[in-house]
Amino acid sequence: MSGLRSFVARRLLLGVAQIAAVVLLVFALTEALPGDAAVALAGDQPDPARIEAIRTALELDRPAWERLVHWAAGLLHGDLGTSLTSGRPVARYLADAFGPTLLLAALTVALLVPAGVALGVLAARYEGRPVDRLISSVTLAVYAVPEFALGVLLVTVFALRLGWLPPTAVGHGTDLLAHPGVLVLPVLVLLARPVCSLVRLVRAGMIDALASPYVAHALRYGVSGARVRYLHALPHALAPAVQQLARTIDWLLCGVVVVETLFVVPGLGTVLLGAVAERDVPVVQGLAVVFGVVTVVLNLGADVIAHRLAPRAGVAA
Amino acid sequence: MSVKHEDGTGEGLLAEVRGLRVEIEGRAIVDGVAFRVLPGRVTALVGASGSGKTTTGLALLGEYPRGARVDGEVRVTTGGPVGYVPQHPASVLAPARRVDALLTDVARMRVRHLPRGERRAAARARVVRAAEDAQVEDPGVLLRRYPHQLSGGQQQRVVLAQALLLGSRVVVADEPTTGQDGLTKRRVVEQLAALTARGIGVVLLSHDLEVVRALADEVVVMRAGRVVESGPAERLWAAPRHAWTRELLAAEGEVTSFDVGATRSRRPVVRVRGLVARHRGGPPSGPVVLRVPALDLRAGECLAVVGRSGSGKTTLARCLAGLHRDHDGEIRLDDTVVPRSLRRRTRAQLAAVQYVFQDARAAFDEHRPVVRQVARTAVRLRGADAGTAGREAVDVLARLGLPEELVRRRPGELSGGELQRAALARALLARPRVLLCDEVTSGLDAVTRRDIVRTLAELVGERGDVALVLITHDLATAALAHRVAVLDAGEVVEQGSARQVLDDPRHPFTRALVGTAEPAART
Repeated sequence: MSGLRSFVARRLLLGVAQIAAVVLLVFALTEALPGDAAVALAGDQPDPARIEAIRTALELDRPAWERLVHWAAGLLHGDLGTSLTSGRPVARYLADAFGPTLLLAALTVALLVPAGVALGVLAARYEGRPVDRLISSVTLAVYAVPEFALGVLLVTVFALRLGWLPPTAVGHGTDLLAHPGVLVLPVLVLLARPVCSLVRLVRAGMIDALASPYVAHALRYGVSGARVRYLHALPHALAPAVQQLARTIDWLLCGVVVVETLFVVPGLGTVLLGAVAERDVPVVQGLAVVFGVVTVVLNLGADVIAHRLAPRAGVAA
Repeated sequence: MSVKHEDGTGEGLLAEVRGLRVEIEGRAIVDGVAFRVLPGRVTALVGASGSGKTTTGLALLGEYPRGARVDGEVRVTTGGPVGYVPQHPASVLAPARRVDALLTDVARMRVRHLPRGERRAAARARVVRAAEDAQVEDPGVLLRRYPHQLSGGQQQRVVLAQALLLGSRVVVADEPTTGQDGLTKRRVVEQLAALTARGIGVVLLSHDLEVVRALADEVVVMRAGRVVESGPAERLWAAPRHAWTRELLAAEGEVTSFDVGATRSRRPVVRVRGLVARHRGGPPSGPVVLRVPALDLRAGECLAVVGRSGSGKTTLARCLAGLHRDHDGEIRLDDTVVPRSLRRRTRAQLAAVQYVFQDARAAFDEHRPVVRQVARTAVRLRGADAGTAGREAVDVLARLGLPEELVRRRPGELSGGELQRAALARALLARPRVLLCDEVTSGLDAVTRRDIVRTLAELVGERGDVALVLITHDLATAALAHRVAVLDAGEVVEQGSARQVLDDPRHPFTRALVGTAEPAART
């Protein structure tokens, strides 16, 4: 197992380098955007003198690299800096917005895994039969619909026409759990495409596994069909699905901008959108660090689990 | 049709097959097969690959190829499923589960009568007992491993333990010794003999006559789905009635020597010095898997590399071919040091070292005609134009006994032996200086094996400039080489002329290896 440990250590080191690269790139890109926080703050009165004053107050007049080094030095002490526009610590921003995003992500994953696996196994079990055709064609069709279109459609039908559910989360603050109704539509939209890709991956893996000699052998020796499917065949079929699942969770945790904006959920995606519009560089960078860490850790976790599920494949750094 | 289970063991008969015919799309794969399985006896079905052995063996389990039409009678008179030990035991062990997964499931079904709290411990006890009965060493540790962490022999014993746990009275063992070295083979023979001592009837499917001789009470010789001859083993060995049986027995004892008319120049083509290979992709300080201080390959000479599986034989060949680059030391081809990695070798260097793999079927693309794939070597490595390469490919293939009409087909329509010869032709088209043959004869029946070895011998004789490296665990094949190098746990323990090494081994390991290679005595 020391091989696995050194693999994890190497990947974490590589991850730190990757996060640093992401932060640098994001910094460079926000610098490249026209205007800065001072222009954004000056708002309706773009008086050059006023903008210059704000710029000095925010220390935006110092060279870019100096600001970056200052920010990076703070990061080493766990200080993500303060927002340029509101003056609040970036860490607070992120902590507040992480709640709704985490809630949406957790709910989605909690429904995604059982639904995806169960439908995938079901389709594989009846490969080529009507059940499989139905599942396969519906998943393909739903996968083809982008989130924003599906979101708009669901809001139109269930919120505006039928009036069953609230169209957005406006007015509920960050405590969304107290109003579960507002979560239904966003979770449905988030669920739609990942469920489809998971079903199709599990189905493909299960069809392979069910045709394998070890499944035939277990059935031959009298082990029940369900036990063979779920305990002998499924672990092998899950290896590719785990990688896909990690990508989905990563996508969910990094604030799904489209869905959060559509339903006005005050999550990380909404914060990101606002911070970019206001050229609030420290907040954008803080988000970049968080997204980077989430991505690196999730993918590493997925590789370790996949290694466990497909032990022969070995690990590649 | 299904397997009939009958209770009671009328006159001790465990199973009987009568007039079995299995037909797919009008083509019979098995026709008129009949034999009986008796308690404590071994019934061996002998024949080349594709002779219908496995189809017959699976029929005892009540399994037939998809879409097959089945006639005849398969009667299993014992209760409970028939045990099965397939040729590749790893294939029936779920790769993502520990090897005791199925054992535990089977045991759980047998402890249902116990109170809930005692079931787990009782099941575990049964699993461990079955593993011990199947001679799995250290079951506590081994059973908690994953299939890929066990050796082929260990996997086989675990699969055997499943059958024992199930209480099978009939066990079908499909090619249990294929690809095994002498020591492991002897162990398999002992295990199967131990099964018969428990009163289990064993159906042995094999082309390995050495093992069949050691074990079989009844022999059924099959060819192209039909039984050509059957009877008690002693009678069959002493007085074979059918011509095919006689050829099979003759092929086994026949000796082809590599010395046929070869004018051997003593000039080394490849010189290996100070080779130390480590695990692929591992750290540079990782465990050493192979250490070869000095080894020369001479033109017109055949070097056999022998050793048990895992001894580093294949790693040596892979280092030479540039497929294993994690090694120190140098490999010189005609006085030039060749790069460690295949990617940095020149076309001429690539052409000079050719590799023929054990699994010929896996070495061909199943979607393109064989001859096109063979011809491609000349185009890629020698820059020949497609037309010339095609003609040359047909020529070389024909000389190896593969007619043009056959090689225009796709690999799926050729037998294992034919594909092995095609793979050889493909390597020859590069006009190699060194030909690495990795276990090219294991998994083939005696007749095909003899043909391949004869072809190789002629080749070395004809082309005096080729150095042949024959990697094998089969000492009978190694004995035909000029020189032999013996590998054990990555070290070259002995090398020298074949006669000297095999007839008068100096190293204890070689002695052990040679000792087991003699036909195992009947117990």
